[in-house]
Amino acid sequence: MPKDTIVPTYRLDMQGEPCPYPAVKTLEAMESLKPGEILEIISDCPQSINNIPQDAENHGYKVLSIDSSGPTIQYLIQK
Amino acid sequence: MDYFNQFKQRYLIEFWRPLPAVIALGVLATYYFGIMGTYWAVTGEFTRWGGHFLKFIGVDISHLGYFDIVKMDGNSLTRIDGVMVIGMFAGCIAAAFWGNNVKLRMPASNIRIFQALIGGIIAGFGARLGMGCNLASLFTGIPQFSLHAWLFTLAMIVGVYLGARVTALPFFQSKFKLQKVSKSRELPYDAKRIKRLFVFGSVVFIAMVLWALYLIFIANTPKLGIAMLFGIAFGLLIAKAQICFTSAFRDVFTTGRSQMAIAIILGMAVSTIGVFSYIILGQPPKVMWAGPNAVIGGMLFGFGIVLAGGCECGWMYRAVEGQVHFWLVGVGNVIGATLLAFVWDYFSVSIATSWPKINLLESLGNYGGLFANYVFLFLLFVLILKLEKNYRNKLQSKGA
Repeated sequence: MPKDTIVPTYRLDMQGEPCPYPAVKTLEAMESLKPGEILEIISDCPQSINNIPQDAENHGYKVLSIDSSGPTIQYLIQK
Repeated sequence: MDYFNQFKQRYLIEFWRPLPAVIALGVLATYYFGIMGTYWAVTGEFTRWGGHFLKFIGVDISHLGYFDIVKMDGNSLTRIDGVMVIGMFAGCIAAAFWGNNVKLRMPASNIRIFQALIGGIIAGFGARLGMGCNLASLFTGIPQFSLHAWLFTLAMIVGVYLGARVTALPFFQSKFKLQKVSKSRELPYDAKRIKRLFVFGSVVFIAMVLWALYLIFIANTPKLGIAMLFGIAFGLLIAKAQICFTSAFRDVFTTGRSQMAIAIILGMAVSTIGVFSYIILGQPPKVMWAGPNAVIGGMLFGFGIVLAGGCECGWMYRAVEGQVHFWLVGVGNVIGATLLAFVWDYFSVSIATSWPKINLLESLGNYGGLFANYVFLFLLFVLILKLEKNYRNKLQSKGA
């Protein structure tokens, strides 16, 4: 899915936070969402590329888009 | 040109998949041992940096026994570990700059600054007390059949668990809040900057390879040059695939993810048989004292790396990516290792050097030791699966 057609409901801007906090906080935030709602996560911890998408999928959420073209990574995840 | 662009995008810019990268590290670490006769390790060199610094500020280190163990001969440019670490930094720089992954990231709070420094010191101290960090224990100690590495690794997992519990306390949690939005954010894009970074990464990479070739063919120090090339490869692999030994074990507890821990066990399994073949051909393994130092050191190390958020090789690539947090972790590591060298003589006999150096290949015979190692690796694998299952059970009971 092209990312500009995805409309997130909430954003979690975690710039500056080292791993694992972006992943932990993402899972916490996802719990508070209603089914179908989308969370946008902004993280500049590069290592989050190996944890946020996988953790989201392991917890039954859908990873809609990942943009890791720059030092600040954007994830769009749907509950 | 199209081919080059495809290659550039896929291999130089994008991240690499972690599983093949970890297995490649296992294979490279094995060849490194075969060619160099020493193991892939970084903390020994960090300790020597601390020693050089102490000498520089006028401290007499000749009476400190630990510096005899790590051997202060020469300098970073004339030691195998020294040039390997320089190569590793170059590999990390190339990976980060090629991939447009450089940004000055300031710590989000003072708590994180405290964590980075204190965690780094504890990890640096623990690693040297246990005679080497995760690289020396997991990637070289265990495949070298040294019992101390098993003690260190198991204690490390306990330390990681304690660290994960402590860092999950409300005090350490992020203060970031959810914002209601109606549009996804446009990420900044600056084509010129990306190009500049790419060129810089390429210059560092090529310069380092040329330096290594110079060491091999002109300066007639082939071992140093080869060690540097290995360093570049190690650096590229850990940075491009974002290999984090800390998260591998920590996240089994924090988010129930075991992929990396299992990848590391596979890497160790690959390395074990390779190292074994070198040992039976006559290369002497590096075996350390299987004493309380390995257990205490492993626990401190495990706790420290989780508090800090990264281990002694993890901070290297993060530091060059501009993560200020990991500059502090690196400084903490060197301080911790140096502190250990200072106090080592007070307790070294009772908890380390009077204990036997147990080589599984001697205690159980060549093939007995080999199979024992694989049985232990299998048990470690089962333990990780069990811990992952525990997390899932807890999650389910929470949801029910």
